[in-house]
Amino acid sequence: MIVHVKNLVKRYRELLALDHLSFTVDDREVFGLLGPNGSGKTTAINCLLALLAYDKGEIKIFGRPMTPESYELKRQIGIVPQNVAVYNELTVYENIDYFCGLYVEDKKLRKEFVAEAIEFVGLNDFTDYYPKKLSGGLLRRLNIACGIAHKPKLIILDEPTVAVDPQSRNKILEGILELNRQGATIIYTSHYMEEVEQICSRIMIIDKGRAIATGTKEELKAMITLGEKITIESQYITETQLSELRALPNVISADYKNKQLIIKSGKGSNNLEIVLDAIKREKIQFGKIYSELPTLNDVFLEITGKQLRD
Amino acid sequence: MQVFKLCLKILKKNIPTLLIYVIIFIGIATMMSADAAKEQSDLLFTGSKVNLAFLAEEDTPLVQGLKTELAKKANFVLLPDEKEALQDALYFRKVSYILRIPEGFSQSFMEGGNVQLEKTVVPNAFSTAYFDLSINQYFNTAKLYVEQFENLSQEELVQYLKSDLNQTTVVELADGAHPRKRIFANNFFNYLAYSLMAILILGMSSLMLVFNDKNLRQRNACSPLSNASFNQQLILFVLLFTGFTWAVMVTICLFFSFNHGLDTNAIYFLINSLVFSVCAASISYLIGLVVKNANVIPAVCNVVTLGLSFFSGVFVPMELLGDSVLKIASFTPTYWYVAANNHIAALRQFNLTSLQPILNCLLMQLGFALAFFTIALVLSKKRKYE
Repeated sequence: MIVHVKNLVKRYRELLALDHLSFTVDDREVFGLLGPNGSGKTTAINCLLALLAYDKGEIKIFGRPMTPESYELKRQIGIVPQNVAVYNELTVYENIDYFCGLYVEDKKLRKEFVAEAIEFVGLNDFTDYYPKKLSGGLLRRLNIACGIAHKPKLIILDEPTVAVDPQSRNKILEGILELNRQGATIIYTSHYMEEVEQICSRIMIIDKGRAIATGTKEELKAMITLGEKITIESQYITETQLSELRALPNVISADYKNKQLIIKSGKGSNNLEIVLDAIKREKIQFGKIYSELPTLNDVFLEITGKQLRD
Repeated sequence: MQVFKLCLKILKKNIPTLLIYVIIFIGIATMMSADAAKEQSDLLFTGSKVNLAFLAEEDTPLVQGLKTELAKKANFVLLPDEKEALQDALYFRKVSYILRIPEGFSQSFMEGGNVQLEKTVVPNAFSTAYFDLSINQYFNTAKLYVEQFENLSQEELVQYLKSDLNQTTVVELADGAHPRKRIFANNFFNYLAYSLMAILILGMSSLMLVFNDKNLRQRNACSPLSNASFNQQLILFVLLFTGFTWAVMVTICLFFSFNHGLDTNAIYFLINSLVFSVCAASISYLIGLVVKNANVIPAVCNVVTLGLSFFSGVFVPMELLGDSVLKIASFTPTYWYVAANNHIAALRQFNLTSLQPILNCLLMQLGFALAFFTIALVLSKKRKYE
């Protein structure tokens, strides 16, 4: 076990930022912390890195308690903070070299690591650039390079793709998976469920500082009753027709809004077929019809009663 | 030494701005110090000649001797011996002294009679008093010979007088110091208060602004670099930067002020400026902690340095500042630095009594340095837990 967090409590005066939060991260895992803005993700990360003092609980990394003076533990951790933290007075190369130098004293080794980090994030053509000359995407990549250059065993990425264009985002996500393949354990926080679904092997959904569900994405989706969501675009539906649809077997709900009929079915097979038969029988006119499997947003919605992006 | 190297790189980016201050300092300080030294050293003593109308109603060896002697200190102006012409000459300052030798003056003087010369002068002119002294010196010396030697001829008397009055005495100050050089150094070191503090504030604030960035502070805190190591490297850099700046600035001062060798006063000027640079470093460190925007740094720097310089006697001599201004200024380190410089410039003897005022000023500056550093540390600690 790489990270062990038990009953973590952090208060900001009256606000309970972390409410007995517990989780573990295993070796070579990509662990996702998913939650809306203000849910406590960054606070949890800051406590994990001993940047914040917490009121109660226990944090162990690599089996040892994490404190502000745990310099040997810190040597094995790479951090990519939410806000870009680079020196505007240093070039891209100098920035990576500076942060790598905080961990690696051997100059020759450091030079190799810096070159590899530059190569890894694709900043070869920008080594002499100052951060202010870089685009948002390149700046994020520099932020990542500064955090991973020293080849840490544990990498913590706190919303590394905020305000990044889709192309750069994909490159960053691919890079994270590559780091994991190379042997690093990853903790990844985000409020983008697609990203978390895409790269994380295990996910913890967090809201108001409390863990509301933890597991693989399949396990999380299995926790809820929703099995399938069928959306039908239709110009007009009567209340009688709607009642007929609601009465179908395995249908949890059927709602008509903005010329869209959304039918939520429970777990089971032939849901779409049953609905199509009913539409045909009721002679409901429709345009498009499509079916979706539940997302993490549905998981969050069912557990908390609100959207992940609320 | 990552943090130390980082400091160097950050400072390197600010070198052009700092150099501007060094160049401005050299230019202004050299010009102003040289002018001030010239003006002030002129006030000590400079020989000058008086425009004199010499009207002799007799032509005797004694009168000729007097004329030759006065020629050393006077420019003779030929004027018609008419009342109106003489009055006009005085009014229009063509002459500042009219000396008339009445007929029979020499004979009467040689016989020991009570005789008087007639003079007409520009009222309240100090040059005429100096000239009176010269005439009195001539006749007082002559009187001594007349009283001592009987049957002394006027020719013999004039020979004696010529020989005696040609004797001059070279006056040297006991410590051999050159007053003009010292006045120059005093002014130069006073101006240093402005430029040294400006450079330290600009350099240190630019540095502290970077290190006080919350994101970077947290990022560094995530690394295995200990707080102690971080602070040690930062303090080492601050000390070296202060020391280097001081060394550059005082080298310039010494080059211009003491280019013919150092004296004891120069060493005290150096000690005082070193103590002041420690104090300036503490103020700069504090400002660096408080300032949160790079655009504000030059404004804060100018307000602090110019403000302190103006009412602490850097640009305007303390003698010209009011008592109330000086009283307020005494709550600033610059005042004590300038006061110490003024004491050092006036220093002729180097014993405990004469050094006491300087030591007091140095202690006051160290006290200020300690106070500013303490405030900075408290602020720094408070910010750490924000």
